[in-house]
Amino acid sequence: MSPLTLGTLYGAVTLIVMFSGMPIAFALGIVASAFMYFFMPASSLDTITQNVYEEMASITLLSIPLFILKGAAIGKSSAGKDLYSAIHAWMHKVPGGLGIANVFACAMFAAMAGSSPATCSAIGSAGIPEMRRRGYSPGFAAGIIAAGGTLGILLPPSITMILYAVAAEQSLGRLFLAGVGPGVLLVLLFAGYAVYRARKEYAVAYEAYQKDGIQSAYLEEEHFSLKQKLEMLPRVLPFVVLLIGVMVALYGGYATPSETAGLGALLAMGLIAIVYRVWRPRQMAPFISATIKESTMLLFIIGMSLLYSYVMSYLNISQSAAQWVVGLHLSKWLLLMVILAMVIVFGFFLPPVSIILMMCPIILPPLKEAGFDLIWFGVVMTIVMEMGLIHPPVGLNIFVIKNIAPDITLKEIIWGVFPFLGLMLLAVILLCVFPQIATAFPDSLMGVK
Amino acid sequence: MSHGFEPVTAQLPALPDQQWLRVLVVAINFLNRQIVNASMVGMFITTLVLTYSVVSRYLFQVPTDWQDEACVFMLIGISFFSAAYVQSYRGHIGIEVLSSMLPPKINALRLILVDIASAAFCGFFSWKSWTLFHEAWVEGQTTSSTFAPPLWIPYAMMAFGMTLLSLQIVLQVMTALLKKNDHYKKAETA
Repeated sequence: MSPLTLGTLYGAVTLIVMFSGMPIAFALGIVASAFMYFFMPASSLDTITQNVYEEMASITLLSIPLFILKGAAIGKSSAGKDLYSAIHAWMHKVPGGLGIANVFACAMFAAMAGSSPATCSAIGSAGIPEMRRRGYSPGFAAGIIAAGGTLGILLPPSITMILYAVAAEQSLGRLFLAGVGPGVLLVLLFAGYAVYRARKEYAVAYEAYQKDGIQSAYLEEEHFSLKQKLEMLPRVLPFVVLLIGVMVALYGGYATPSETAGLGALLAMGLIAIVYRVWRPRQMAPFISATIKESTMLLFIIGMSLLYSYVMSYLNISQSAAQWVVGLHLSKWLLLMVILAMVIVFGFFLPPVSIILMMCPIILPPLKEAGFDLIWFGVVMTIVMEMGLIHPPVGLNIFVIKNIAPDITLKEIIWGVFPFLGLMLLAVILLCVFPQIATAFPDSLMGVK
Repeated sequence: MSHGFEPVTAQLPALPDQQWLRVLVVAINFLNRQIVNASMVGMFITTLVLTYSVVSRYLFQVPTDWQDEACVFMLIGISFFSAAYVQSYRGHIGIEVLSSMLPPKINALRLILVDIASAAFCGFFSWKSWTLFHEAWVEGQTTSSTFAPPLWIPYAMMAFGMTLLSLQIVLQVMTALLKKNDHYKKAETA
């Protein structure tokens, strides 16, 4: 059987087993073991556990649970609400400032916590009621938060990027830095749209008031005294210091990514203990056990995905598939479009972790051959996977919003996030035209590759 | 990836009706709970170890060579030991498209078959893990670093964790099968 036929069979069997509803980790393990049994030397099955252990025993991969712990600790506290309130108080004079405050708060919280759903929940639980009280339409308010939350997997430290760095054998530090420029671009695009939309809704409210005397919350003035503004800072500043401190530790050469994760998690737990009095074991147990659940599930998928990729490589499937794609002689940009379309389709039913670990061995060689920078592609792929967080059928953030704002209908939320999906697509196009948006920052700090 | 964030707190499924099975399920739930409590402490210790290594290197100029492997062993242990706990909440995610498309009876059968296949795989993996542990123990295998800790430690944790996970899935299959039988018995009686 040729490697390509074998690869087709491997892919087909994987899809059947996965769609049976079996947990992804076990499905990948079963398919890999079955192909080892039928198509590899008999002794290979004896090394299955050793393979999984060796793939999992990477200190870079094992920083994932600690980054999750850091995010879960901050997500458990009221830091998100306080952060949002402080930014809102300082920005309320800016036209559309409430929308901007929500986008900025999402970006900052996402960078601290590294989690999209936690960001949606933390900022949205304060931001959505406030935006609605101030007259913002429900879909618009939900859209801002759902889209702002996606920044969690783009801004460093991003777990998705850790996995990509391992799968693509790229520098994690460089990849983290490459996410900053596109992250800022998305923040600016989201904030710009928030201003445009808020002004538009304001104009409609003003016209209705002029015409029929209908009073809207949009037209009410809001005021914060300097004292009120200053009082909000002490609860927020420690977390901003944590955010900056973690980045300095990582990029100043003081700590490796795993040490940064451990240090960050300990500092986050220390801060919520001091600022929010969350220090008793029974207060900490829920977020630590949630971290264990999430990271165990992820590490199982990672271990089995790496076993799955090992079998693909041993049977020459990934190499042949990559050669086949190269042999199609697609133009550079068509190749990129086809690959990104595949990422979107896989995103309908697979989590980013599986997409990255299963697809990278096949898609990266043709992309490299076509002249794409793999660090740049990692950022583009992450943005495309971010889109999966806010569009059906998975759209995890949509369901988080529905959970924290049950009176907003699912239809309103979905329509509300559509403009933001368009903005993310625009960001991908801008990144294709100006790749320096991603590469300039790491190049300036770490030197050109 | 929800990153330690649970929009809704997951609940353990109801206990089975059969006394003997109920005892087994309660026992494994208790064991899982204790393991997760220990894992929580382990995770906290891991953060301390990594922080200590940074502090000791920069403040006291004393680099450590053991922290990476200690943390890898700790986190591998936490992951494998907690796998059964995660499974007890059905926390290992899968693609559940078919559940809304199939009739309830066929869907129940699908779930049982999926669990049986999962148990078979985990059982096989456990057996191979115990074999690996035995080899590492007998041959005195260590890692290739200067610290060189024995490899039987992570292999033992992997083997124990996968065995517990297999047992957890077997209990879930038995609970589902006996529940199904009861359902049929009640239907026949009616």
